[in-house]
Amino acid sequence: PPQQMTQDEPLLAVQAALKKCFPVVEEQQRLWRSSLSDCPPLLASLGNLAEQLQAAQNLRFEDVPALRAFPGLQERLRRKQLEAGDAVLDQLGERLAALLNVRDTVSSHVGQVLQIYEQHADAIGIDAVLQASAASPSVADMLEWLQDIERHYQRRYLKRKYLLSSIDWGDLAGIQALPTAWDRISEDEHQDLVPDILLNVSFSLEE
Amino acid sequence: MSAKTLGSATPRKPVLSVSARKIKDNAADWHNLIMKWETLNDAGFATANSIANMKISLLSKDKIELESRSPACDENAEQRPREYSAELDALCEELRATLDGLVRPEVPGRVGAAWLSGHRGRSSPLTASLGSTVNMPRLWGPQRLLSPLSSVWTKIQVKMEKLSSTTKGVCELENYHYGQDSSRPPLFHTWPTAHFYEASRRLSDMYGAELLLKRTIVDGLAHTADHDLSLTYLSLWLHQPYIQSNSRLLLESMLLE
Repeated sequence: PPQQMTQDEPLLAVQAALKKCFPVVEEQQRLWRSSLSDCPPLLASLGNLAEQLQAAQNLRFEDVPALRAFPGLQERLRRKQLEAGDAVLDQLGERLAALLNVRDTVSSHVGQVLQIYEQHADAIGIDAVLQASAASPSVADMLEWLQDIERHYQRRYLKRKYLLSSIDWGDLAGIQALPTAWDRISEDEHQDLVPDILLNVSFSLEE
Repeated sequence: MSAKTLGSATPRKPVLSVSARKIKDNAADWHNLIMKWETLNDAGFATANSIANMKISLLSKDKIELESRSPACDENAEQRPREYSAELDALCEELRATLDGLVRPEVPGRVGAAWLSGHRGRSSPLTASLGSTVNMPRLWGPQRLLSPLSSVWTKIQVKMEKLSSTTKGVCELENYHYGQDSSRPPLFHTWPTAHFYEASRRLSDMYGAELLLKRTIVDGLAHTADHDLSLTYLSLWLHQPYIQSNSRLLLESMLLE
């Protein structure tokens, strides 16, 4: 049950929630970055494997006299190459799971802040919500930023999940093109959105 | 067999512990040899890769920009002219000589250090060595690399013989003591002695086939003009198709016992 509050208390409660949320975002952004940076080498490995698979597919093993002595060589090699590919995919899957975890953690914290705000919104009043000071952006701005951040992670996660789920060993050319496709996703994004916002709020968080 | 002569003369318990220790030592030797093999295999991949790159760059020189260059060309090698051809031939000759086991391995330089230390703690998965097949620098000549590989193989063969005789000896000893008695206690946790023999037999078969393949790769690699074949040789070297994925499991269960 809501307690009897003085006039400032609802605003202070929302500000306290915001103050707790941004450091969480900062930490999650670190995790996001580090998981993301693991991916390009793994994608390069996949591309490389696809090139090897392609080469072995193009090659007629029976036309290479030296290799005729080795029974089942082509199948054995292919099996090993695909095993290696699966191992890389597993590693990529782990990174993707870490990205998903960042998205969920951020979503849940942002959701809590919004909930606290909604509980107190009427009591705070619109003027106080829009009030910015030299030391701190307005509550309205910070809430909007948090929602921007949440959407940002959501979009970025989904794009990558979609790309990785399209991987198919029947499409070797597609696998070889993965690193480029991945880079294109990164380029399309507003890379600095989260760091910029964190910079905007950093001063008011320091107190 | 020392285990056997000891066995017929002394009481049961000490005999078994001697047998057990022998098998344990053998398992540990296997482990060390395979670790060395893997280290050398990684290093060998770098060498094989540089040979392939050199070869491909020579090829693209020959084609003189007729078509866009193969993406697998090492940038440095690309800038180098034809004298590489001679060096390539020399490398291949040395390579073949060492592989045939004609040259007694001396183990110099970087490979030597890795070889001597044995890289015990190293258990990188296969994919860890999946570097790009392009742009790999030339680190050392193949002759430095393949002689220790040959030497590891020699040791594996010796080990195999030793294993055959000692493990078989231990098996016979067990039969002598317990006959058909089904209650014979296993020397180790769960494996009967014959399992150790089978395990090492299987390991030995895998590595034997793989070494044959490696010899073929070394022979073929520098003498193919075909991009797909070169890449497939490299891939064969890297993925070791005759070494089954369960070999590590086999080895680890042997050590666990």
